[in-house]
Amino acid sequence: MRIADLIGGVVVLILGVAVIYFSSQLEYYSEFGPGPGFLPLWIGIIITAGAIYVIINLLTKHSRTREFFKPRTKLGLQILITIIITFLVLPLLGFSIGLALFIGVTMRMMGKHRWVPCGLTAIVTAIGIRLIFISWLTIPLPRGLIGW
Amino acid sequence: MELLNNLYTGFSIALTFNNIIYCLVGVLFGQIVGVLPGIGAPTAIALLLPLTYSVNPTSALIMFAGIYYGVAYGGTLTSVLINVPGESSTVMTCVDGYQMALKGRAGAALSVAAIGSFIAGTVSIILLMAFAPALAKFALRFGPPEYFALTAMAFGLLTVFGGEQPIKTIISTMLGLLIATIGLDVVSGMPRFAFGFPQLFGGIDFIVIICGMFGIAEVFSSIEEPEEGELVKSKLRLRDLFLTWEEWIASRWAIVRGGIIGFLVGIIPAGGITTASFLAYLAEKRASKHPELFGHGAIEGVAAPESANNSASISGFAPLLALGVPGSPTTAVMLAGFMMWGIRPGPMLFKTNPDLVWGLISSMYIGNVLLLLINIFLIPAFVVMLRLPYTIIMGFIIVFASVGAYSVNNNFFDVWLMLGFAVLGYLMRKLQYPIVPLVLGLVLGNLSENSLRQALLISGGSFSIFFTRPISLLFVVVAILAYLSPVIRWALKGLRQTKVDPA
Repeated sequence: MRIADLIGGVVVLILGVAVIYFSSQLEYYSEFGPGPGFLPLWIGIIITAGAIYVIINLLTKHSRTREFFKPRTKLGLQILITIIITFLVLPLLGFSIGLALFIGVTMRMMGKHRWVPCGLTAIVTAIGIRLIFISWLTIPLPRGLIGW
Repeated sequence: MELLNNLYTGFSIALTFNNIIYCLVGVLFGQIVGVLPGIGAPTAIALLLPLTYSVNPTSALIMFAGIYYGVAYGGTLTSVLINVPGESSTVMTCVDGYQMALKGRAGAALSVAAIGSFIAGTVSIILLMAFAPALAKFALRFGPPEYFALTAMAFGLLTVFGGEQPIKTIISTMLGLLIATIGLDVVSGMPRFAFGFPQLFGGIDFIVIICGMFGIAEVFSSIEEPEEGELVKSKLRLRDLFLTWEEWIASRWAIVRGGIIGFLVGIIPAGGITTASFLAYLAEKRASKHPELFGHGAIEGVAAPESANNSASISGFAPLLALGVPGSPTTAVMLAGFMMWGIRPGPMLFKTNPDLVWGLISSMYIGNVLLLLINIFLIPAFVVMLRLPYTIIMGFIIVFASVGAYSVNNNFFDVWLMLGFAVLGYLMRKLQYPIVPLVLGLVLGNLSENSLRQALLISGGSFSIFFTRPISLLFVVVAILAYLSPVIRWALKGLRQTKVDPA
């Protein structure tokens, strides 16, 4: 956890420095008072200072540690990958069918359900999304190649 | 008289058939969200926000408010029956509520929570009706320096209430402010931090960020650490809900004290309902003649925090409506809603949209009555919901979040951006960077920056403008004290330790 926290601190530090760099390219002060770069520069300075404090604190003090990776972190990661795949296929399949497949698959992945309830839930989801979001609320969601 | 007049205006709007339905839907939804773990009020409102774009803002706000205080009622159920808080604001209820359930008094715990919430909530609405217009009137005198100082104070108070690592709270706030600067600068018209993405010129929509950081990020956290508890088998027939005379005597002052603490904490920017319930519990324990009973099923330990969280969720509307400065993540999301509908909350709102303000406030009376009835007669129906598998809840969240993010601009860029913020939110939570400051920084970013720039323009660049105006000075002093609070706390601790061991 300390290592993860340390990496987090370094990422924040890099972000802070980047913010300072990019905001220094914007006008700091203009004839209309403080310019577009005024606040961002100070935000960058505070983030950088905060990150340095976090890092020093981690290196000098022994703090209570919590494990970064937990037994079920892997499952969370699998769900994330499933979401990414779902979002990639949404333009092709459309929202109703794409998200319904996602729900069917994740119900199966999380373990406890048989194929039949997963399939039924997916079908209900597809119909629900189609009726509620597309027909009733008329949100122009992509309907995919099948057009549903 | 003015109060009665406002009440009349309000009820004539809140009591229309349409708005009663919105209120009922809101409180029912809030009750459900409260019962389900892994989804809270800010998430629920953020997920529904994109869908209410074309709804009348008053009706939508009535519904959202119903969700907000409904959640405070619903979260109690899981705290009492399975020792898992359905909401962070009902954490303290677990302590004594679950013990009561183990002793067979689950019904009494639930009904004292409902009755306490109802009484404290109703009193809080009355106080809100008196206090909010006064606050708005006072805020009419605010200029840019006051608004900047006010937002600085709100950010500062976050470090007081924001957890163990104040420096991470500050970093998180700054991230929110930073994200708010993305897009075209309103004064100069220059794009900032857009890196050539034309989709970023208009800035990142709040809905995208909130759906990601609250909605989907919470899914990852819940998968990783499922909150599973054992359901205490309890009889919840109507007569099991009746309080005994002793229980009633024990809880009446707890309800009053909890309600008052809740109201006061709720109106502080960044106070929040979780803090309110926490403080109410501690105060009750201190005031009690039998503090040793707390933690072993003391009914006051349920009555006080439950009254406080409901009272605070209502008084939290005072800073939102009268100042345009939200005090909690939920009201921050509602502020995003105001922006979506093109309404600016603040002192002028009471003059420009009295129907909205008073309709909303009056609807809370109705909502609290509905919730009291729901929590007396429909409890068994919600107990069934505790058996709903998490995968279904997760599915709902993902569906609503992706539809919501897509519908902001009808493109997939926002959907991917939302997923990016979900991962960021998840990592921040794991590394103990709090999310709430980021959201407050985000929704207040523009107000804060614009008023800072206007103030410095007025003063010709001198920061003395923040110290020479009395109201602004007050906010600045509170802000500085708040930022220094970790140092002050540390120094006091050191002082106390030297007193303890004089060696």
